[in-house]
Amino acid sequence: MKGPGAALAGLVLLALLGFACASPAQAELKPITPFGAAESAPPPAFGPRPVAGAFQSRGPLGGLFAWVLDKQQNLQRTLALSVKNLKSDHPVAGALTLAGLSFLYGILHAIGPGHGKTIISSYVVANEATVRRGIIISFIASAVQALTAVALVSVLLFGLSASGLTINYWSNQLESVSYALIALVGLYLLAGHVSRLWRTWRGASEAGHAHANDGHHAHDHGQDHAHHHHDDHGHHSHHGHGHDHAPGEACDHIVDARQLAGAVSWRKMIAVVLSVGVRPCTGAILVLVFAVTQGLYWAGVAATFAMALGTAITVAALAVFALGSRELALKLGGSGGTWTNVVWTTCAIGGAIVIFLFGALLFAASLGPARPF
Amino acid sequence: MLLSAIHARRRLAALCLTLIGLSTFASTASAHPHVWATVRAEIVVGENHQITGIRQNWTFDEFYTAMAVQGLDTNNDGVYSKQELAPLAKVNVESLKEFDYFTFVHFDGEDDKLIKLKPPVDYWVDYDKNVLTLHFTLPLETPVDTHGKPVAVDVYDPSFFVAFGFATENAVKLAGADTKGCSAKIVLPDPETAADTKALTESFFTQLGPNSNFGSQFAQTALVSCKDSHL
Repeated sequence: MKGPGAALAGLVLLALLGFACASPAQAELKPITPFGAAESAPPPAFGPRPVAGAFQSRGPLGGLFAWVLDKQQNLQRTLALSVKNLKSDHPVAGALTLAGLSFLYGILHAIGPGHGKTIISSYVVANEATVRRGIIISFIASAVQALTAVALVSVLLFGLSASGLTINYWSNQLESVSYALIALVGLYLLAGHVSRLWRTWRGASEAGHAHANDGHHAHDHGQDHAHHHHDDHGHHSHHGHGHDHAPGEACDHIVDARQLAGAVSWRKMIAVVLSVGVRPCTGAILVLVFAVTQGLYWAGVAATFAMALGTAITVAALAVFALGSRELALKLGGSGGTWTNVVWTTCAIGGAIVIFLFGALLFAASLGPARPF
Repeated sequence: MLLSAIHARRRLAALCLTLIGLSTFASTASAHPHVWATVRAEIVVGENHQITGIRQNWTFDEFYTAMAVQGLDTNNDGVYSKQELAPLAKVNVESLKEFDYFTFVHFDGEDDKLIKLKPPVDYWVDYDKNVLTLHFTLPLETPVDTHGKPVAVDVYDPSFFVAFGFATENAVKLAGADTKGCSAKIVLPDPETAADTKALTESFFTQLGPNSNFGSQFAQTALVSCKDSHL
């Protein structure tokens, strides 16, 4: 894993860095080797210290996990080094390197775990009809997380000259608040979906009228739905379709199901984004505090947002993947109205349940013993 | 009839695909470390090749260090003295209890039968060249006889918030009265062996919870064995 793997990773990293830092100042970039060499160019005060060996892991995916882990560790070391380099002769190059590395760190970080992407993906699957909105939500949520991190560290460090232990404490508190909010949002979404579903099933004929109105409503809000409406109109206007369902049955159910999930609601979106964003990203706080201790607050802020951008890309990719899965499920199931209904209902209800469970579980976990580090 | 059977199967397959898709993105959401610690351990071997305690040094990464020492230079002399860092050491060590000190001692091959540890003694934190090292000694509740079976000391965080890895040099040493005939080595997880079934089969919900065991697949072990000189 070590030799060619590391070399490949180095190349990929350099390529990405080049991409991230593409700017006139690029020529000035100090040749910082991404991996390995980090320890070889220490500032004067840097003495021998225990060096951690490469990680290994068991199981079929073990090699991959261990590789990702090693890269992450090297990246973090290089990140630390690049912050220090900011104070050296090439602040511009240092700043760009820092931004590029933070961006990468954000991407890698989000590929790992984290509830944010799960919540966002579940929300998107359960509520959003379009890829575009899925992506927008991912970016907004990441930006809010970055803002929270910057606000928290700024207020505590500069306003209250707090210690690291205090920052840790408050970031854990915000984490609990975020999880609780996520659980509430999950419940809220679930209640909405279930009640709409209930109303739909109670009276198919009344529902027919009500849905016509709903359709208009959604239509006003965004063109995203235009496509589905075309389908719906098609069904409505050509009654001799060959289907033998009664008017207001299967066809209307498609409308129901899509609207069950699809009604464009800024309120819902903001609720989700805030509940996720209230919890500052731990990685961002670490980088920010580190930058502050080096006397480079603004570099830290920039790094935080670069990191958020990286995270947003990964989260958005997952959200798009989740939407793709749903579309695939819709297509594979054939064109039956009932199937479409099942998929949409499953996604809407299932997504809301996942959000609730994650929130509740993480909230409970966050009330456990405080972590030592 | 046949047609509807095919339909049903296709739908089932589609539903499965959706579920797989959903769980894939959820489970790639397994823990990633935020803190890195390089471990050096000293196994204290007493009379009759009995292990009485584990001394450890955990050297943290610069990010965690910056965070941890922030605001602790109380006399503003630019130096983090042992006294200034004492409260940090206390908080660390005390909260470690809830996490079993991230140290799991057992006979080799008997991962489930953990040997009990007593709260750390003789602990302190020092700060040198931008990194923090936590020193502490964990006494065993009752000394463990190494006769017959090697003793394994796993150091890892099951939830994987902290990534522990033994140092490349001097990772483990033996200390104490009766180390003759004993040896210690580091064992890394073998990629060829199957992952801990617990780590893989647990649902993604538990992975995120307090009982997550994701970190176990990266667990590194100090293995101590003594040749029985009396036989």
